[in-house]
Amino acid sequence: MGEAVDRLMALVADPQRFSFSAAELRATQVAALDERFQERKDRIKLLALRARDAGIEKIGSVADMVPLLFPHTAYKSYPESFLMEERWDRLTKWLGTISPYPIEGLDLEDVEGIDDWIERLAALGYFISCSSGTTGKSAMLIASQKDMDWSKIDTVNVFAWGSGVVPAQDRVIVGCAPVATVPKNATIAQAQYEAFADPTAPRWHYPVPPITVGSLTAMVVMRKKIADGTARPDEIAAFEDTSAARAKAVADAIPATAQFIIENRHRKLQLSGLWSGLWQVAKAVRDAGYGRADFDPDNSIYVGGGLKRAQLPDDYQEYVFDTFNIPEDRHFQNYSMQELNSGMPKCREGGRYHVPPWIVPVLLDKSGDALVEGALDHTSGEMEGRAAFFDLSLDGRWGGVITGDRISLDHGPCKCGNHGPSIRDNIVRYADLEGDDKIGCAGTVDAYVRGVA
Amino acid sequence: MNSVTQVAENQELVSAPFFLRGEVLHGTDVIQTSRDLGVTFATPRIPFDRAVPPRTEVPPLLNVPLAEIIDFLVETGQRLIAPDNDHMQECIERMCRTHILPRAVVENTARHAAAYLDKRVLMAEVEQNFPDPRALDEWVPKQDFTGRRSFVRAFAPRLIHVLPGNSPGVAVKSVAQGSMVKGVNLFKMSSADPFTMVAILRTMADIDAKHPIVRSMSAVYWRGGDDATERVLYRPQYFDKIVAWGGGDAINNVIKYLGPGFQLVSFDPKTSISMIGREGLVDEATVDRVADLCSTDVMTLNQEACVASRFQFVEGSEEEVDRFCERLHHHIARRAAESGDVRPLDRDMREAVDTMTLMDDEYGVWGRTDGKGLVIRSEEPVDFHPINKTANVVRVDSLDEAVKWINVATQTVGFYPFDRMADYRDRLAAGGAQRVVHLGEAGPSTIGNPHDAMYPLHRFVHWMAHEDGKPD
Repeated sequence: MGEAVDRLMALVADPQRFSFSAAELRATQVAALDERFQERKDRIKLLALRARDAGIEKIGSVADMVPLLFPHTAYKSYPESFLMEERWDRLTKWLGTISPYPIEGLDLEDVEGIDDWIERLAALGYFISCSSGTTGKSAMLIASQKDMDWSKIDTVNVFAWGSGVVPAQDRVIVGCAPVATVPKNATIAQAQYEAFADPTAPRWHYPVPPITVGSLTAMVVMRKKIADGTARPDEIAAFEDTSAARAKAVADAIPATAQFIIENRHRKLQLSGLWSGLWQVAKAVRDAGYGRADFDPDNSIYVGGGLKRAQLPDDYQEYVFDTFNIPEDRHFQNYSMQELNSGMPKCREGGRYHVPPWIVPVLLDKSGDALVEGALDHTSGEMEGRAAFFDLSLDGRWGGVITGDRISLDHGPCKCGNHGPSIRDNIVRYADLEGDDKIGCAGTVDAYVRGVA
Repeated sequence: MNSVTQVAENQELVSAPFFLRGEVLHGTDVIQTSRDLGVTFATPRIPFDRAVPPRTEVPPLLNVPLAEIIDFLVETGQRLIAPDNDHMQECIERMCRTHILPRAVVENTARHAAAYLDKRVLMAEVEQNFPDPRALDEWVPKQDFTGRRSFVRAFAPRLIHVLPGNSPGVAVKSVAQGSMVKGVNLFKMSSADPFTMVAILRTMADIDAKHPIVRSMSAVYWRGGDDATERVLYRPQYFDKIVAWGGGDAINNVIKYLGPGFQLVSFDPKTSISMIGREGLVDEATVDRVADLCSTDVMTLNQEACVASRFQFVEGSEEEVDRFCERLHHHIARRAAESGDVRPLDRDMREAVDTMTLMDDEYGVWGRTDGKGLVIRSEEPVDFHPINKTANVVRVDSLDEAVKWINVATQTVGFYPFDRMADYRDRLAAGGAQRVVHLGEAGPSTIGNPHDAMYPLHRFVHWMAHEDGKPD
C-alpha cells in the first residue's frame, strides 16, 4: 500500500479523525488516489479499460478520478445466463475482471449452486457480498480478508463515535430485521457482538431462515424464466408457495422479536435493524402493553439504511425511540452501503454524517458522468449532487463508487465542532425522486412479468 | 421539491398549452419535468369539467358522415406540412428541446406522420377494420335465420388515449382513428412530447373552430401515475376505454382503475428482431447487402421505435457471423453519423458492454459505448434492452433455435431469405410474434393491416344493438 494511503488509514481509531478539513486533507488524498490507481490499474481489468478510454495515466486531482469511478451497476454486469445455467467458470472469469487479485485455485467440480460457489471462494479468501435486490439483479461485491479485518474495526469505531456507547460488553443485541447472510454482514455482526454484547446474556437469533445469495438470486432467475417463457405453471406455483412461506416467517418474526425484547426488558438493550422492522417490533411491544417506562434509559439503537420504500407513519422515528426509551443522544445512524468498506456516522450535535479522511467524497451531476458544477472550487457551504466516494481502505476491489444517492455535502465546519466534510441528513435515492412517466411503444417482455418480489 | 424549483429558475420555461374541445388554454400553474432530458415545461392546471363532457351529450361527431370526417382529416394533413403553419413550426422548435432525438429526425417524422392523413389510407383502414363500414354512419339493418330483425351501430366511444413520447406518428394516427370512430377523445400527452397533439388540434381549429371533430378533442398533460388526476378521470362514468401505448409504471398504474365498463386497449411495449439464414452469408457482397438491409431495421427512428430490430439471430459459424457483424456495425455507424445522433449509451448498458469487451472469448464487440453504433455478438440474447444504435447479433446453428426466443413482446420479425418466411410464420405466431416482414422493411406495412395482433378501430367502438323484434 502507498505511503499516503497508509497515513490516512492510520487515522482509523483517532478520536480526532473527523476534525481535518477537506482542504487539509486534499493533497494527501490526491496522492493516495494516485497510489491506489497506480497499484490497481494493471490489476483490475475494468479499471484498465476505463483508464485507457479516458486516457488517464496519473491522478493529479479529484477530477481525474471521475471517469474511473465505478457505478454500483458495475458489480451486476455479469450476464444473467451465467447464473441461470450455473456456468461457474464464466462467473468466476467475470469476477476476475473486477478483482485486483487473480482468482486462482478454485475447484469448480460439482458446484452445488451459487451458495456453494461463494463458500468455495471464501475458503480461498475471496469474499462475495451480495446486494439484496429482490426482483432486479444482485450486485456481487468481491472483497479480501483485509477488507473484512478493516470492517471489523471500522464498524465498532463508527458506532461508538456516533452513539457515544462505550464498547463494554454489557448489552443484549437484538436484531429486528432479517439480514442477508453475506460475509460482510456476518463480520460486522460478529464485531458488534464482541464489542458491545454481554457474553453471558441470552443471544438473539432472528427467527427467519438464512437469506443467502442463493435465495436472493433464485428470485432473479425465476423472473428471467418467466420472462423467457420457459417457466412452467407448476414451477411458478411452487415458487409462489416458497415466497408465501418466507413471507410468513418474516411476519412471524415480528411478535417473536417483541417477545424476546419484553423478556429481556430489564437488561440494557442494543436494537438494530431497518426502520420498517424496528417500527413493527415497537408496535408489537406497545400492543403487548409495554413502553418507555419498562426499558433502560441507557438503551441504544443502530439503524441501517433508509426507508427502503417502506410506508410508515410520519412519526415512525419518535415512535421507535420512545417505545424503547432510547435517549436523544443515542440516536445513532450510519451512512454507508455494501459498495463501501467504511461507515460515515451521524454526529449527535449537528445531525450530519461525517466522512472519514480515508473516504474521498466526490460530488457528481445527476447523470453521474461529470463533477457537479463548482465542485472543484467547493470550500464551504452545502452543495448538492450525486454522491460518489473513493474508499481508500478497500483492498479486494476498486474503491471508487458512484452511488444512486443525492446528497448535500458541506466542506465547512459542523455544529459538532468537526471540520471534516459532512453530509446532511436528507439523503434520497434519485430513483425515488422520479416516477416512471416515460412510455413508448418499444419495450421488453419484462413489462409482462407479474409477481416475483 | 428543491431540485425542481432550482432548475426552473435557471432555465427559460417552455410552455405547453392544453386544448379543450376547440379552445386553447395557456397557463403556467404546474412545472413539469421531461424525464429524458430533465427539461422543465409549464402547463395549466387541468379544468376537468371542460375536458370531460357529460354522457348526456350525444357525441358531436355521431351524425357527421365518415366521408366528411375523412375530408377534414385530409385537409388537416395538408395544413400540417404547410410551411406557414406556425403551430407545427413552433411545435417542432419546442420538441427539439424536450425530445431525445436530433432535430432532423424529429422534423422528418413529423412530416412522415402527416402522410397517414390520406384519403385512400384512411378508407383502407376503415374497410379493413369493419366488415361493413356503414355501421359507423348509420344503424345497419340485420336479420338472422329465424327472421328476427335488428339494427347494429358501431357507436361513437368515449376514449382516453395515453400517448407515447417516442413518435409523432402515433399522435396523428390517434387523432385520425379517434375521429373515424367518431369518439369523444381525451389525449394524455407524454412528457417527452407535450406539444405535437396540441399543435395538430390547433391546426384543425384554424380550419374550422366549430367543426364537430374539433369539438370532440381535448389534449392535456399530467405526470403519468399521478393519482390525484387519474382517480378523477379513469372512470367508466366518463370513458369507455383507455387506449394506452407502452408499458412500465404508466400502464401498471392504469390497471388498477380498470373494471366493468372501463376497458384497456393496449398497444403493448414491443421488441422487434431479425432472423437471417445462412443464405445471407454466402459471399462478401451478399453479407454487405444483407447487413445493410438489417441496419435499416435496426436504425428505424434511430432504434427508438418498437419496430426497430434489437436482436438479430444469424445462422452460421462464429467466423461467418463475425463477418456479418463487422458489416452491420459499418452500416449502423454510417446511418448514425448521417442522422447526427450522438447520444452516448446509458450507464447500465455501458457497464454491461464493457464487461463483454473484457470477456472477449465469450462475446464479440464492434464499436464502443460512445453512441456511434455498436454490435455485440453472443450465443444468446444479452440481458439488457439494446437501444440507442445497438445491435445484438445472436449466433445460431439453425434459425429453428431462434424460435425459442420469440415471446409475447415480439412484434416484428425481419426475415432473410424471403422464401423461408412461410416455413417459420406459424411457429413465430405460436410464440407470440405479430408480424414477419422482409428484412429491411420493418417500417412499412400493408395499409389497414392489424396492429399488435388486433384491428384497433373495431375494438374502440361501442357496439350497440337495436332489436326490432320478429315480424308476425
